[in-house]
Amino acid sequence: MTRYLLGRAAQSVLAVFGVMAIVFVVMRLSGDPTLLLVPEGATREQVDALRAQLGFDRPIPVQFADYLWTLCRLDLGESVVQRLPVWRIVAERIPYTGWLASTALAISVGIGIPVGVATAVWRGTLVERALMPLVLVGQSMPTFWSGILLIMLFGVGLGWLPTSGADEWRSVVMPAIALGGLSMATFARITRTSVMEELGKDYVRAIRAKGVARPVVVLRHVLRNGAIPIVTIAALEIANLLAGAVIVETVFAWPGMGQLAVQSIQARDFMVVQAIVLLVSIAYVLLNFVADILYGAIDPRIRLRGGPR
Amino acid sequence: MHRNGIFAGALAVALATAGVAFAQQKDVLSVDLPGQPATLDPHIQWDTDSYHVYRNIFDNLVTRDASGKIVPQVASAWTYRSPTEIEFTIRSDIRFHDGTPLTPEDVVFSVRRITDPAFRSPQLSQFDSIREARVVGPDKVLLVTARPYPVLLAQLVKLSIVPKAHVERVGPEKFNLEPMGSGPYRFASWQRGVRVTLEANDAYWRGKPSIRGVTFQNVADEATRIANLKSGRADVTRAISPDQAQALKSEARLKLLPAATERIGYLFVNAQWGPTADVRVRRAIAHALDRKLIVDALYGGFGTPVDVVLTPANFGYATGIPSYPFDPAKARALIKEAGAEGAEIPFTTSPAYDQRLVQALQQMLQEVGLKVAIRMTDHPTFLKRRQGNPDEAGSISTGLWSCGCQDADGVINPLFRTGSAWAKYSNPRFDALIDAARATIDEKERLAHYADALRILHEDVPGVGMFQYHAIYAARRELQWQPTAGESFHVFDMKWQN
Repeated sequence: MTRYLLGRAAQSVLAVFGVMAIVFVVMRLSGDPTLLLVPEGATREQVDALRAQLGFDRPIPVQFADYLWTLCRLDLGESVVQRLPVWRIVAERIPYTGWLASTALAISVGIGIPVGVATAVWRGTLVERALMPLVLVGQSMPTFWSGILLIMLFGVGLGWLPTSGADEWRSVVMPAIALGGLSMATFARITRTSVMEELGKDYVRAIRAKGVARPVVVLRHVLRNGAIPIVTIAALEIANLLAGAVIVETVFAWPGMGQLAVQSIQARDFMVVQAIVLLVSIAYVLLNFVADILYGAIDPRIRLRGGPR
Repeated sequence: MHRNGIFAGALAVALATAGVAFAQQKDVLSVDLPGQPATLDPHIQWDTDSYHVYRNIFDNLVTRDASGKIVPQVASAWTYRSPTEIEFTIRSDIRFHDGTPLTPEDVVFSVRRITDPAFRSPQLSQFDSIREARVVGPDKVLLVTARPYPVLLAQLVKLSIVPKAHVERVGPEKFNLEPMGSGPYRFASWQRGVRVTLEANDAYWRGKPSIRGVTFQNVADEATRIANLKSGRADVTRAISPDQAQALKSEARLKLLPAATERIGYLFVNAQWGPTADVRVRRAIAHALDRKLIVDALYGGFGTPVDVVLTPANFGYATGIPSYPFDPAKARALIKEAGAEGAEIPFTTSPAYDQRLVQALQQMLQEVGLKVAIRMTDHPTFLKRRQGNPDEAGSISTGLWSCGCQDADGVINPLFRTGSAWAKYSNPRFDALIDAARATIDEKERLAHYADALRILHEDVPGVGMFQYHAIYAARRELQWQPTAGESFHVFDMKWQN
């Protein structure tokens, strides 16, 4: 177990480092924020002077080394656009991202898994025909469109929910539905496939023959045995919900990390973008790691040994 | 099929009941901005969204009235001691929000702060002509420029006066997060990424603000800003596109507030590289553009066609400069004469520019016999190329230029003067004229120089003026306010109609 953990940690650090290095270089290849900051009409000398003041005239490897040194001191640097410590800018957004992602996750798991189970168990019945369109809609509606439709209906038309912002619990409802829609469909599909596969196995027939009631079979045995693909998907989906809310956050003016990422990329606010990429890649790595541990808990036959291959 | 039915139904319900409850008069004005202010320290950022917020917290040395004239604010009067020295008389009845009086020392501190290279203000280029600022009397401040600089007052419209003692005490980070000035509204809170809240400063020296408080929300998506207006969540918003403006015209509870700005929509034409190095090709391009069609069809009339690369809102704008009327036949003839039929014209652009305009221009130029190749890159890359060597900049590109100073000096100087990063053109006679216009503070003389300079630009066509850009705001019908050419957002000037 220890060897496994160490190997896994080393691999994770390498992955995060690789992502950071790529983002660092690619962002700088397409120009720095100096030209976006100065007024139109600033002379070349004035632009160069500001660029030197901001440190963007240095070679990229020097800037990267400097950044790594900043990270080593457990700092994330300063935003040249907002003139504030980056940790502060990013930290303000984390609660909003967490709030939206957890609500969206609750919706997608809370609806997706039951729908998946129901459509597998009652295959070919009215239940399936009633529920599959829901999955299809979640799967195929682009969020920039479903978001606007939700706003038009519940915000402008019926006036039940605020049209944008993040002020109260009602604010999160529409963004969470728009964001959770796709995840919900994914959970439903994976659960359905997994449950259907398990339902066809011999042990199910055996337990049923023993006289165990069908709901107990499904909930206690089938779901547990079919959980591995669902857990794998869950790890990816949580990471996606954390990182992939860019469009939803733009449509609903939700002040999360996705919105911050877009605005910072547009403004070439390198330090903020780097911090977000760092956090998101760490989240991905950690969630996948948690999923690996969970496999062992779900299926005792899986043992974590040695380094990852 | 079923799904389509459901959504059509939902949409119909939404539209039928749109905009049910509009609150009556509100104490707090709710403003939707497309971006959050980057900073509230007025010496760091002056992007439109930051500017919309902090101009309400601070007073500036001078300001512009509704007609665009430079008028007193913190400075009650000024006189030129010499062409390089202006003496300002500072009002003595202004107090910062903490009750301390605004003094000449605060003015000098503000000038020194923004002009200190170590402070890294992106606005430095607007103020770096100032050599020295010092207090010369109990209510007098002297600004000394390196050379005569006639645009100084226009630049000082953007100089917010900050409280020296407070800034020094709290430090730059805290001041940025919790700014304090002497303006009609005091800072209340900043929920970053969400909203900034300001409240009325009843002790304001120009009187009690009619609107009691303001919140500025950060709402990036235009459709959402409009939904907020319709649902009554927002009272006013900016950056409405002409298409949406047309749709909003039928909303009885809302109104459009367009303002002709100092932004000039122009076409840059590279005079130093490629087919457009031939002046006949450049003139042909000028003849090929149907400005009226552009303004009417693309901007729904929200724009004013112009013949020069300058708007009527800028000092130095002159009428009576000859123009190139829309004449495709003449354009074709000129291109034939230059032997440039079918020549490839690279059109550099970025997503920051209106791509419908780019495509319309491409079509217009194709029709007179040029082969236009659109070269799209991200904005920083575009800027790098556009400001690079003549062979990197492409043959043409669109621009929407604003110097924030409403003066010809801030427009045709950086765009066309020899040696400027933007210029792909050089004419010593033009340079001499705009240099002369910059070296005197005599307004009549300056106007004459600019009229001559614009005539040379007409001859040489290193750029083609297309239209004066209109900024479009939308607001609740009851809001009384008229936006101005400077795109300033003074809540103090607004009130609710009874």
